[in-house]
Amino acid sequence: MSRVWDLAHGRSGDKGDVCNIGLIARSPEAYETLCREVTAERVKAHFGELIKGAVERYELPNIRALNFVCRGALNGGGTLSLRSDHLGKVMYTWLLRMEIGDV
Amino acid sequence: MKSVKLGTGLAFWGDSIRPAIEMVERADIDYLCCDHLAELTMSILSKQKSKNPDLGYTTDIIPFLRGVVVKCRERGIRIISNAGGANPESCGRQVVALCQELGLYGTKVAVVTGDDIMDRIDELLADGIALENIDTGRPLSDVRDRVTQANVYIGCEGIVEALEQGADIVICGRVTDAALYLGPMRHELGWAADDWAMLGAGTGIAHCVECGGQATGGLYSGGWQDMPRLPSLGYPVTTVFENGEAIMSKSPQTGGSVTVGTVSEQLVYEVLDPANYLTADSTADVSQIKLDQVGADQVRISNIGGKPAPATLKVNMGYRAGFVGEAQFTYTWPDAVKKAKAGLEFLAERLQQVGFSAEEERVEYIGVNSMWGPESVPDPDDAELPEVVVRYAARCMTKDDARKVFTESVPLYNNGPAGASGIGTRPPIKELFGIWPCMIPREFITQSVEITEVQP
Repeated sequence: MSRVWDLAHGRSGDKGDVCNIGLIARSPEAYETLCREVTAERVKAHFGELIKGAVERYELPNIRALNFVCRGALNGGGTLSLRSDHLGKVMYTWLLRMEIGDV
Repeated sequence: MKSVKLGTGLAFWGDSIRPAIEMVERADIDYLCCDHLAELTMSILSKQKSKNPDLGYTTDIIPFLRGVVVKCRERGIRIISNAGGANPESCGRQVVALCQELGLYGTKVAVVTGDDIMDRIDELLADGIALENIDTGRPLSDVRDRVTQANVYIGCEGIVEALEQGADIVICGRVTDAALYLGPMRHELGWAADDWAMLGAGTGIAHCVECGGQATGGLYSGGWQDMPRLPSLGYPVTTVFENGEAIMSKSPQTGGSVTVGTVSEQLVYEVLDPANYLTADSTADVSQIKLDQVGADQVRISNIGGKPAPATLKVNMGYRAGFVGEAQFTYTWPDAVKKAKAGLEFLAERLQQVGFSAEEERVEYIGVNSMWGPESVPDPDDAELPEVVVRYAARCMTKDDARKVFTESVPLYNNGPAGASGIGTRPPIKELFGIWPCMIPREFITQSVEITEVQP
């Protein structure tokens, strides 16, 4: 089993109750695999109930990056949230742990 | 080709001032751009202003300027800052007083206002501006009586005007982060207010550098081990050209690195749809951005697009949303998990005994799932764990209820299950502010610029 971490690094942050997670592929081949394997649906399922709303995926091909916009992901937003990670600073690391099959 | 050199001085209220001090001593820059404001900051500042009408700005601007302003004046570096927060006028007076104290006579300090619409809410509602929540569609009446501040994310036109009038230091309130950079770009490079391609490019470039150390190796997940001298991290120094391209670097002889990887991580930070990055000044398209390593610690930023600015401006409105009470405790082997759960039940019953009421509660196990919660990562169940740390937090409508959380956790020390420790000291009760995101047509907002020349 591979993990997203084998193919990409990332960063995440907050805008209100939205957490966005950016993944940056380590190579052109890794980017192709990410685009194929790491769909918005899989990301939402991976986080379970933590993401209450929809997940949208955007592509930035020239820097081999994917951006996941996760709505309702911060327990009401950074200023209200009871979560220790109220700003979603490490949300990306849980996505890096997602298994994506042998690649 | 015309160009302008922009230094990133600060990236948030409380950020280290050393990178800026090193920058004005060592780097070749024309402007020092400083962002002090995050989403929550305006609520905190408006609370301070309500207690003392002289406060309400980010007070770190004063030690910051004390560290850099003499050098900046010597070298002709102009400073742009949104430290004014909820009280730009008072901030401006403090800055003028500091310049007097330092003997910097002739320095022109500009104050840009026009973002604060707190006193206009009822008038706007009467004009048919609904100010409904753009995320939930709810009407403002849900929270109207609890609103404590309302500021519009305004664009760079006030900064441009201040620079045209010769300002050496520009103090703003809630301008966009990007405007702190776009203002000097427009002033120096001659971009028109509707040159959407260039304004989009400038906005994208600003986004790459506005978070300071996050673009130069700080938090770099692609190889933090390889980042040299992080405790001496240098902040971005960026040359922006009139064709909308830029070379990003950092202060000489500092730690960190500027690579395609470090800039890429910053680029995807806090972005929604990259083809429509909305700001007050433009709609930037960073979806096709190109980053190229063109030298050691030098990355070229190009191929950013721009579209017209949106017809509406975003409002950052804060409302009182209660208080948070927290308790934390640790249980040890044997049966650490069972004891922790018994400790939580103990706390729940004690709270019930004192008539506690909460809007929402949360339990996290530190070292297991405190960052994602049980929604993503299961609670611990390994009976052999040497220790388990529990964090309990509750959002309460009253300060009294919030205070009860810690008070009722204290008896865990000698009344509860065996093996408890690490209860700690009483944390301060934190007031919570909700953010009410809404929009206002841009024609309702006019910026003003006032310039004061520092006199003996």
